[in-house]
Amino acid sequence: MLTEGQKKLLEELKNSLAKSVSEAKISESDYARTGYHLEFKSSQTGSRRVAKEMKRKQFNLETVTAVDFIDSFEIVYLYFNYYQDNIRVIVRIRVPKNEPPFTISAVYPEAIWLEREVYDFFGIRFKEHPDLRRILNPDDAVYFPLLKNFGKTKITDEIDDMIC
Amino acid sequence: MLTIKTIDDININERLYQLNLGPQHPSTHGVLHFLLTLDGEVVVKAEMLIGYTHRGHEKMAENRIYEQFYPNTARMDYLSGMIFNTGYCETVEKLCGIEVPKRAQYVRVITSELNRVASHLLGIMDFVMGIGAYTPFLYGWDDREQILDLLETISGSRLTYNYSRFGGVRVDVDQAFCDGARRFVDRLRGRFKLYKDLITDNIIFIKRTIGVGVISKDVALDYGVTGPTLRGSGVKYDVRKNEPYSSYQDFKFEIPTKEEGDCMARYLVRMAEMEQSLNIIEQALDNLPEGPVRADVPRFITPPAGDCYHSFESARGAVGYYIVSDGTRIPYRIKVRAPSFSNLFVMNKILPGHFVADLVAIFGSIDVTVPEIDR
Repeated sequence: MLTEGQKKLLEELKNSLAKSVSEAKISESDYARTGYHLEFKSSQTGSRRVAKEMKRKQFNLETVTAVDFIDSFEIVYLYFNYYQDNIRVIVRIRVPKNEPPFTISAVYPEAIWLEREVYDFFGIRFKEHPDLRRILNPDDAVYFPLLKNFGKTKITDEIDDMIC
Repeated sequence: MLTIKTIDDININERLYQLNLGPQHPSTHGVLHFLLTLDGEVVVKAEMLIGYTHRGHEKMAENRIYEQFYPNTARMDYLSGMIFNTGYCETVEKLCGIEVPKRAQYVRVITSELNRVASHLLGIMDFVMGIGAYTPFLYGWDDREQILDLLETISGSRLTYNYSRFGGVRVDVDQAFCDGARRFVDRLRGRFKLYKDLITDNIIFIKRTIGVGVISKDVALDYGVTGPTLRGSGVKYDVRKNEPYSSYQDFKFEIPTKEEGDCMARYLVRMAEMEQSLNIIEQALDNLPEGPVRADVPRFITPPAGDCYHSFESARGAVGYYIVSDGTRIPYRIKVRAPSFSNLFVMNKILPGHFVADLVAIFGSIDVTVPEIDR
């Protein structure tokens, strides 16, 4: 159940986020089932404007990650409001594979390493990132391991045989 | 008084040099590499090189079914494996909408809190040993051994427990375990006085920790620091209170915080947190409900398409699992938010201006585990 403060903050957020990126889809979600209250979906790269808006509302960045959907990337940002109303917001930015978004590391310094990790595993070159290098994989690696076309072993077929 | 220098203030004629601390070094708690730029004994710039123990857990998740990925979770943070295991189960249960019986939730709380105490004991004692006190380490190890023995009786292993299951826990706890847990709670409560004499009041420890490695509130929040490190900087945030999961809302406990943000504050927060964990264990044992310990869950689960984020408190901070499911038995993507990853990055900010010897104290007080950073 949402408290009064949470409801108020959610309304405010909806209005202010709608202004920051046009054509964004903002919807409330079932917290008990998904773990986040508000979902922000956009196909434009408005990540930095959203980050500034979230910072203004005293949200903290929990994590940055990406999902490879074969034809495009979805960059996922999770924001959480630590000590006021405990609201979690998920921001999903769909970007084409050849058009990376801007970095948000100027707004949240934590993102320097988080975005380095995303680059390391997906090859997404965040624009204007101060220090975009490999972080967990070797410096001379030529692969991006979490892309769907990398290292698909036969294990998945074996599992199907095993279970049936 | 130590004057703090940044890399911009350095005169080109001064002699800077670089020191490689690690990857193999006794005080780096694993395979971690510091590349330090030094001016004499003072750190001017620090860079952490990580990834030496990268095992590709997130990629492994995409190549196996949900049940098969389960043992991997304890291998990330091997010191609080029970908490990582349970958290993964809770995430998948959230995704599938599985209801866990009350008794199983309580058993999970008891085992998780025991594991937290064991992890804090190790964290504190390693920290103290890193700055030169060997004796407390032996006492702490003795206490930690009791927990490991206790958890071994129900799970069969000492660090990577694999005790939780989707929908509950593997086996019910017996009376011997409950009695053992109660005996341990009493035993550790009696030891806090000893630890106070041995560590907290030790003049060398005080001189090495007070005012060293101060992380201010704003820096901590900007860098995404969580756990005892954040609470040592005065932010009252604990996932167990802010977003109660399992059945943490049933128990009365405090969130200890300290305003100072230095190594001593982080140490004191950990100590106070152990006492709170003991309170939780005692309440859970008193009110342990009867009933089944496992819900009726199919042998192989197939979550519906969609995604789910679940946050929980490990001994080091807020962990998060983000699971994307495409409706098959194999996860489409699993992302682990590792608290140590962010907690380590803040050292980049706070190390300049400290002595090399203080690095060991700061690093020990933040208490990271390297396999969790590298994943």
